[in-house]
Amino acid sequence: MSTTSEAPAAFRHAASRPGPLHSLREAVDDITSRQRLVRYLVAADIRRKGADTLLGNLWWIMDPLLQMGVYVVFVSLILSVKTPDYPLFVLSAILPWKWFTSSVSDAAGSVISQEKLIKQIQFPKLVLPVAATTAGVVGFLFGLIPLAGIMLLYQHRISASLVFIPAIALVQFLFTLGTALFVSAINVFFRDLGNVLRHLLRLWFYLSPALYSMSTLDASSTFQHNPVLRTLAHANPFAILFESYRAVIYGKPDGSPHAPDLQSLVLLLVASILLVALGAIVFKRLEPSYAKVL
Amino acid sequence: MAIATTPPPVSAASPLAIDAANLGVRYSLRFTKKTTLRQSLGQVFSREAAEPFWALRNVSFGLVRGESLAVIGPNGAGKSTLLQVLAGIILPSEGSVEVRGHVSSLLTLGAGFDQDLSGRENILLAGAFMGLDDGLVRQLLPSIVEYADLGQFIDAPLKTYSSGMRARLGFAIATSVDPDILLLDEVLATGDAEFREKSKARVIELVKAAKGIVLVTHDMVWVEEYCNRAILLEKGRVVVEGNPSEVVRTHMEHSAARKAERAARLGSAGL
Repeated sequence: MSTTSEAPAAFRHAASRPGPLHSLREAVDDITSRQRLVRYLVAADIRRKGADTLLGNLWWIMDPLLQMGVYVVFVSLILSVKTPDYPLFVLSAILPWKWFTSSVSDAAGSVISQEKLIKQIQFPKLVLPVAATTAGVVGFLFGLIPLAGIMLLYQHRISASLVFIPAIALVQFLFTLGTALFVSAINVFFRDLGNVLRHLLRLWFYLSPALYSMSTLDASSTFQHNPVLRTLAHANPFAILFESYRAVIYGKPDGSPHAPDLQSLVLLLVASILLVALGAIVFKRLEPSYAKVL
Repeated sequence: MAIATTPPPVSAASPLAIDAANLGVRYSLRFTKKTTLRQSLGQVFSREAAEPFWALRNVSFGLVRGESLAVIGPNGAGKSTLLQVLAGIILPSEGSVEVRGHVSSLLTLGAGFDQDLSGRENILLAGAFMGLDDGLVRQLLPSIVEYADLGQFIDAPLKTYSSGMRARLGFAIATSVDPDILLLDEVLATGDAEFREKSKARVIELVKAAKGIVLVTHDMVWVEEYCNRAILLEKGRVVVEGNPSEVVRTHMEHSAARKAERAARLGSAGL
């Protein structure tokens, strides 16, 4: 009688190290054979985030709007930078960033928070960061509601380019997943990664063209005298992502939305796929130690 | 007090359900236990290698199908580590282990539950974690719910449960799937007296259904009464293996000796 999907006979010996391709194949098997588990975990995660607070899912809509308000006050009133339709300009970066940071920090805790379970039963630990990252997508989808609301205030910026959003989001999802795999595995061994991560993410946000545009950076004298810095800034995944989202949602300060820079998006897509593969290999390599270290 | 009605040894002709040879589990103390980045970097740079600690060493035994094996020993002897290796949670650092059959191993009952989900949802989640087919879990659901006997709490979030209720649910899930091999860690001590009786009955039922059981317990009466064989582990090594009452006697003698030694040490320290 076959009641479990595990092999009925298991032979384990003093670990011989599997090759990277073997690890990768195992990683794919782990997820495809446990889709139901991933689905349950995602559902539980969403429920938990919604159920804990009084307003529930309403917060997912309010949060980006409040954050947008803070930046609008700070940048356009205090620093008095005059960018037309600035609320939409900044919201087009806040939404993807919130998605990224919440997914990555959830993933960072995904393995260590299941410490007890990991010591109790044998299951593919890879489902944990994958579920955390997948659950993060829902937050982003909710964020599209306030975006739609704000867009109604700036109707002249509504265009057909919005259809690019799913494609850009797919690239971002893969990049997030790759990052999440690394972070969740490393956090098992270095518990203060969570603290370090918070500061790194904040720094990353301000160094990326979220509150300002890439063209503002390019125009600055620092960048014109320093081509290396300029190349680095353009290679920043979130420079590519923010600029792409902004191109299709907002456009240029004086122009309407247009298609994103497809060449850099495709490059980022390829890089993200490689990152996911590498992250999966590293995660699988470290997996046998989790139960011992946790 | 112990009634010496040990079940007869199971015939060695039946195939081994578990075959462990020269098992060793090493913990390198470098990364274990909540290291912070600073401590780890300190260890990387300080030349002295972290001392390896062998939680298990040279452990060999076989579990015959239908046998009930007790693993006893003082705290920290490696009993739980042994169960973790058998469950596939930890890979052996040395030697090998072959497990033939489906293993169910809720080692510490109910610890892996999701506090925000209801009992019913936790059953589905636990089934998915254990790698069971979802259709099967849904089919088993009514019997698990009935056995756990939680009344209307079955649809309440788990954070509202008492520890006894949680243990009941965990035990119901772990034993519902008719595993070929059941690994139990100190579960006979959980829950109220009524449930203890009930779980005892269920374990006896499983033993009778010719399933292999490896049991870690401090309940010596249980060992002598229901186990075919016992292993005494001390400091990760097998001290003695064989007839339960003999192994229990050795264990008693050893712990009495340790107690006396401790008392002598305290005495000589001038207390």
